[in-house]
Amino acid sequence: MSDTPAVSVNHLTKVFKGSLGKGAFRAVHDVSLTVKPGEVYGLIGPNGSGKSTTMKVILGLLNATEGDTRIFGIPSTEVASRRSVGFLPENPYFYKHLNGRETLHFYGKLCGMTGDHLKSRAEEMLALTGLEDAATRRVGGFSKGMLQRLGLAQALIHEPQLLVLDEPTAGVDPSGSRIIRDLIIEFRSRGITVLVTSHLLEQMQEVCDRVGIMAHGRMVREGRLDELIAVENQTEMVLENASPDLLAKINALVKAEGGGTRLLRSGHPRTTLERLFLEATNEPKKP
Amino acid sequence: MKRKLQAAAVLLIFGVLKMPLEQRVTHDLRTMHLVDEPLHLGVKGNMGQMGLAAAFGGLRGLIATVFQLRAHVEFTRVNWAQVDKYYGFVTQLQPRNARYWEEASWHMAYNAASYYLYNKELKPALRGQLFHEYVQRGTTILNEGLALMPDNPRLWQKLGDLHWNRSKDFKASGDAYLSSFQHGGLNFTERFAGFAYAQANDPDSWTKGYAILKKLYDEKKATPGLIEFLKMLEQNLHIPAAQRIPDAGPVRRATDPQAGPLRQ
Amino acid sequence: MSEATQSSAAVNVAPVRFSPRRVWTLAYATMTQLMRMKILPFLLLFCVLVAAMGFGFSTINPEQQLSQFKTMSLGVLQVFSIVFGIVATALLLPKDLDDRTLYTILSKPVPRFDYLLGKLLGVLMLIASGLVIIDAVLSLILWLQQSMLFDAAVSQLHSEKQDTPEAVAQMREIVARQGLTWNLHWAVWAIFLKAAVVTTVALLLSCIASSTLFTIVIAFCITIIGHGHAMIREFVLQPNLSSASVRIASFLLAAICPDLAQFDVVDSVANGEVIPWTAVYEMTGIAALYMTVYLFVTHLVFVEKEL
Ligand SMILES: Nc1ncnc2c1ncn2[C@@H]1O[C@H](COP(=O)(O)OP(=O)(O)OP(=O)(O)O)[C@@H](O)[C@H]1O
Ligand SMILES: [Mg+2]
Repeated sequence: MSDTPAVSVNHLTKVFKGSLGKGAFRAVHDVSLTVKPGEVYGLIGPNGSGKSTTMKVILGLLNATEGDTRIFGIPSTEVASRRSVGFLPENPYFYKHLNGRETLHFYGKLCGMTGDHLKSRAEEMLALTGLEDAATRRVGGFSKGMLQRLGLAQALIHEPQLLVLDEPTAGVDPSGSRIIRDLIIEFRSRGITVLVTSHLLEQMQEVCDRVGIMAHGRMVREGRLDELIAVENQTEMVLENASPDLLAKINALVKAEGGGTRLLRSGHPRTTLERLFLEATNEPKKP
Repeated sequence: MKRKLQAAAVLLIFGVLKMPLEQRVTHDLRTMHLVDEPLHLGVKGNMGQMGLAAAFGGLRGLIATVFQLRAHVEFTRVNWAQVDKYYGFVTQLQPRNARYWEEASWHMAYNAASYYLYNKELKPALRGQLFHEYVQRGTTILNEGLALMPDNPRLWQKLGDLHWNRSKDFKASGDAYLSSFQHGGLNFTERFAGFAYAQANDPDSWTKGYAILKKLYDEKKATPGLIEFLKMLEQNLHIPAAQRIPDAGPVRRATDPQAGPLRQ
Repeated sequence: MSEATQSSAAVNVAPVRFSPRRVWTLAYATMTQLMRMKILPFLLLFCVLVAAMGFGFSTINPEQQLSQFKTMSLGVLQVFSIVFGIVATALLLPKDLDDRTLYTILSKPVPRFDYLLGKLLGVLMLIASGLVIIDAVLSLILWLQQSMLFDAAVSQLHSEKQDTPEAVAQMREIVARQGLTWNLHWAVWAIFLKAAVVTTVALLLSCIASSTLFTIVIAFCITIIGHGHAMIREFVLQPNLSSASVRIASFLLAAICPDLAQFDVVDSVANGEVIPWTAVYEMTGIAALYMTVYLFVTHLVFVEKEL
């Protein structure tokens, strides 16, 4: 079982058919990726690059135009592939007439859970996501961050082996977002596989083992995070309280060295993933 | 896409297969008098949008009731032509409902006819003429209803009432009562048939009336009124004394041998 | 990711089966969801209206009053249940889709058929409970009216010195036939069957288009055509009456639409007609057939639907 990938996407292409005569739109183009059991995989890319579309195909909500997707080896077209998956869609919303606890019971029952097991599991999830106080409040009155946390609780209710999170920290305040990241790290330590998208790159850098960068429906980079952001022939020096004098001296030293050595840039440091992201996705935009 | 084609195919194949079934169920329900025949196109035009809604919306009963209420309003305004028109719609929409035929006829033969008969503003000759016309209209309506439901005892009974009370055509009344009884009407319709025949002008009817009343007498179902009529018939038909019924006690003179129509 | 690992993993997996408990969960959630849409006050208002109507009619005679009351209330009930079935169904699916609730539900191990059946049952359960409540209210009113009207009619006969046993017996017969009988419940059952068929059709339309307006408009059209189904059918089955294109179009209409006039026993019940068991069986059977097939077609449309 351990060598069966948690998620495998093989040459996935997704074309949205235009309505009546209007052109079709290719949202995902020949994307392949593999998420190994127990790892945290980050899918990043600009708005409209096809991340959510890929996730929906993985979860069987959309049909692949070409290629196929599997969860733990089971094709996404089969309902059984979703036995052990928890999904948090972007901007989740729930039946607003239910309260927090009832919502979790509802989703638990859908997964075939019953009785005390379901009840205790729901309380556990409410506690885990910090929603104890909102357990009896109607979802209709939940704030965006609370909805997001409820979405996470709902995704976890049946103890899935794989979590698919679409922008889990969107709209969540910094402390809430911190909690979510800590949760992801904890899931990894418990052996739960996580597939996550986000725009907040520092956060991704913190939790992901591997990342895939998508742009215009294509996978432009993929690999282990530390490998991807390590640029072998470059060295970065981060100085504190460096005087302009010192910088000038260093500059001079580099020039004096000659050969292939060049100073590419100096200035205030950036998150490396962010730089990578910008480089990777900064291709001329197709219409 | 494949599934969508399958869906369309299933829908069509089922659509074809279901039609004979629907035809049969509709036929069954119609023979059980639970579902109406479709309306004639001409009728819908006259009734306007309401009629159209009635034909297609499955709301014929509801709309008939609305027309009936309208007719009632016209009735309170003594606008008889309108009452007749609305009841025309009502009976078209619900032709299998005997009650509507009965009411339509009652409005014409009793209410409208009496209204004209006692209308002091009209010349006496005209009063009589209008009375007869409206009684005739009421009779026609009942006969139309009976053409659709020839074995409805209730309508036959009402026709008997009508001939007895309004047109004083006792032979016709007797025929109608007898028909009512033969089609499962209430017991007293048989007796009324006898009473009506007894009051007719022709000996044939008397014979019929005598047969009915004598039978009832022999079955010990005699009422004071019945004995009265029977004695009258014995006299008229010259029944031999031996066959006549005994003079049992003093015969009470019934005020009205027939309870009459229920309405006033 | 060799072929072997994949197939060995796939072999271990049992397919997710249909589960009545899951369908119940979905149906119950749908029902409560609809109840929160302020349906109940509406229902109560309807009951009050019906009650007012029952006692407020101008009386010509007791029979007319009872029959009119039945026709009116059953007619309104029929319109109400059909409108409710169509509108509720047309709202539900697009709402789940817009709210992305559908994503969270279908990303659980929930077969899409279970979801559809749950939605349908939820709507039907609510219609059924509404009808049961109103049936009870109607029965109560009819029963009260029946005895009231009978007493009033008898005392009137008495005051007119016409209370012969025959007249009283006839009055009793009339009032009993028009009053509360089992037929009333069968009429309500027929109303439910018709509403259920229309609701299933609305669910199918909703899956085809996931547009509320489209579903409502087309469902109402089909409801109307369905009532004239017998006419269309007889037209189609008649030999050589009109052009081929008209015949084909009529044929398609007749094939697609259910014959809703088969459930129109309400008027006959208001007339005091007796509904035999055969009629109940036939109506129930054909409604079940329609619903099964339309639900199956809905499933075919929905199972590969892009969400
Ligand atoms: N149902 C649909 N029909 C047509 N086009 C769609 C549909 N869903 C998504 N798209 C298009 O596919 C492209 C990819 O969308 P997707 O939601 O996957 O992007 P994303 O990477 O998740 O973006 P974001 O970061 O904004 O969430 C977009 O251009 C979008 O307009
Ligand atoms: Mg997205």
